[in-house]
Amino acid sequence: MNRVPNSLIDTLASELEPVQPIRLWHGMALVALSAVATVILVELLDGLWHGIVQGRASGIFFIANGMFAVVGAAAALAVVRMASPSVGNRQDGARWSAGMLALLPISAGLMLGVGGLYSAISSDIYGLDCFLAGTGFGLVTPAALVLWLRRGAPVSLSAAGTLTGLAAGAIGSFAYGLACPIDTIEHLAIWHTAPVALLAVVGRYAVPPLVRW
Amino acid sequence: MIADEQEMAAMMAAAQKGDAGMYRALLAEVQLWLERYYRKRVAPAQLDDLVQEVMMAVHHKRATWDPTRAFYPWLAAIARYRWVDHLRKVYRSAEDELGDHDAPEDSKEEAVMARMSLERLFVHLPEKQSEVIELVKIEGLSIAEASEKTGQSESLVKVNIHRGLKKLSALVEKAE
Repeated sequence: MNRVPNSLIDTLASELEPVQPIRLWHGMALVALSAVATVILVELLDGLWHGIVQGRASGIFFIANGMFAVVGAAAALAVVRMASPSVGNRQDGARWSAGMLALLPISAGLMLGVGGLYSAISSDIYGLDCFLAGTGFGLVTPAALVLWLRRGAPVSLSAAGTLTGLAAGAIGSFAYGLACPIDTIEHLAIWHTAPVALLAVVGRYAVPPLVRW
Repeated sequence: MIADEQEMAAMMAAAQKGDAGMYRALLAEVQLWLERYYRKRVAPAQLDDLVQEVMMAVHHKRATWDPTRAFYPWLAAIARYRWVDHLRKVYRSAEDELGDHDAPEDSKEEAVMARMSLERLFVHLPEKQSEVIELVKIEGLSIAEASEKTGQSESLVKVNIHRGLKKLSALVEKAE
């Protein structure tokens, strides 16, 4: 069977130019740079919280922000890998890490109950600011990831979109979390986690049209 | 006989460095592989177009193959992606019936190929969805004909096609 005209092969071969193969570490370097840029932006616009290095931050501050960093790294790594398609590619690490992050709001819910959660939401006057800031600072990472995906050949577009949003929200919340001195579980579980959920949903729908090929 | 994984990876690595001779050989192998890969899941009249489309995708996206990873799973992911896209777009004309191309696989890597086949995607779909996708998108029946043949209402046929295609696109890399 040889039905495709050989002229196609001739044409493609005549157009051949050397290419630099896609490398995982290039993508991760791009993500690392965008994360560093996000933290610098936070320092310039809001100023990082000095209480972190002065020993005034609570344990939950480190646990929550550590979770954001891990989820951001796992989701970003999955997205970077998706630029190079392969049957057998899986994104289980990112999914499990997102499940781990869900422990924050679940724990807050179990500790406070529905009434307590409502009260925590309505009485936190800085909550909305943190939510908006985390979401806003989360927009640096997807720019880098979308560029990377456009250079690549993603074949699971919905998953790529969701994970891009997840990485964006987690890295944005992590970076802004370094500036926020409110380190109670209810504040972190609600207002710092919400950008992650929001951007994951937004990414699911906004990213695929940008990276379709 | 189609080249094995090691040969294909070597040819692709050379092609990425600009070796046109190797690239020509690689594309000829890719063409044969794609024709075999699609033959039971694409109407013969549309096979050439789809193979051609995938070969162009391979050309434009050749930098996305990572030389440290296997070649065939990369090619199969692109082939599956384009195939699902093709199913979304194309309705086959009724007279183009699928032939019986069940020639025995002659590759040494038959087991590996089987894991990446299009059949692997279909087994993850509920029967009602795979049945109507097969009838309407591959065999070219109308919605009404598929409805009559399967006993599903016309709106259910449409819903099952829509849901099935959505599921297929989510399975491109996963189903193995």
